Amino acid sequence: MQEHIGEHILWHLPVLGAVHADTITTTWLVMVIALIFFGWIGASYRSPYVSKRQTVLEAVFNYIADLVTSVLGEGGEPFVPFFVALFIFIFLLNQFGMLPFKALGLPFGGSPTADLNTVVPLALVVFCMIQAVAFRKKGLAYFGHVLKPFPALLPVNVLDEILRPVTLAARLFFNIFVGELLFIIVTSIILARISIGFFNLSLGVAVVPILIQFFNFFVGTIQAFVFTLLAIVYLSLALADDH
Amino acid sequence: MNPEALIAAAAVLCFGIVISGVAFGSAVGDGIVASKAVESIARQPEARPNIFLFMFLGVGVLEAVPFIAIALSFYILLVVAKVPQIITSLVK
Repeated sequence: MQEHIGEHILWHLPVLGAVHADTITTTWLVMVIALIFFGWIGASYRSPYVSKRQTVLEAVFNYIADLVTSVLGEGGEPFVPFFVALFIFIFLLNQFGMLPFKALGLPFGGSPTADLNTVVPLALVVFCMIQAVAFRKKGLAYFGHVLKPFPALLPVNVLDEILRPVTLAARLFFNIFVGELLFIIVTSIILARISIGFFNLSLGVAVVPILIQFFNFFVGTIQAFVFTLLAIVYLSLALADDH
Repeated sequence: MNPEALIAAAAVLCFGIVISGVAFGSAVGDGIVASKAVESIARQPEARPNIFLFMFLGVGVLEAVPFIAIALSFYILLVVAKVPQIITSLVK
């Protein structure tokens, strides 16, 4: 069974070597669907009447915009599209694992965030963006913040900075990956047809997948939101004037 | 004593200990977060959306380490010790 956990269908490209095909194709499909969907919603802005699809999108956008301006202050307005895009992208990638494409054996399906190759670049993008924005705002004096309380704390501060994208990536990856792992475990229990005495465990476990689906939907939403909110908080910590 | 049986027994025991620790720790932590949230909503009901937000933020950040522990214990059980293969080969 362990050959199904964490195994992806590979393509062998000339320059890049072996890549995970299902992660790449699923990410492309989610990007295309999201672009078409949000382009369709954006088309309603051409007429002066407010349509229903416009208000739904504006509800999500305003929620995150209020969050950004409450944490970052008025100077946080340029960053709102980045965080909205991050939240919607991670949310869609997380929830795509609910669709039943993975078992078909195609190079497609599963949730791309259950693959470390998607999650680590997202965390690195957030980390590099925070460093670049803080450097642009404060100049070289920004890097002196690792010496701030007193210089003997330099290793602790550097470790703290490095560990932030690590925990960000690990939190998102392991939450989504364990959701898929639970399905594999439950499937193997059902296939093994275990009976404990008179209690047929395989039948009893067959009602569990729908509960796992509810839980995965909940966890996917929460983890997308926590990722975005922590990115906002780290940016506000880097841009803060007093430290 | 069959060394494979010893490895399988140690892996299953490790899995049980880790999962019970994870369940206990995350249940207590989430219980503390939720109880404080309910208490503060009772004190100030108009702050409910904000408190709800921070409750889910706290749960999301808190549940990172338990999920990491669950995934690593499954890794030890299935990949390092290969317990299902050992058990099927011993039972035959």
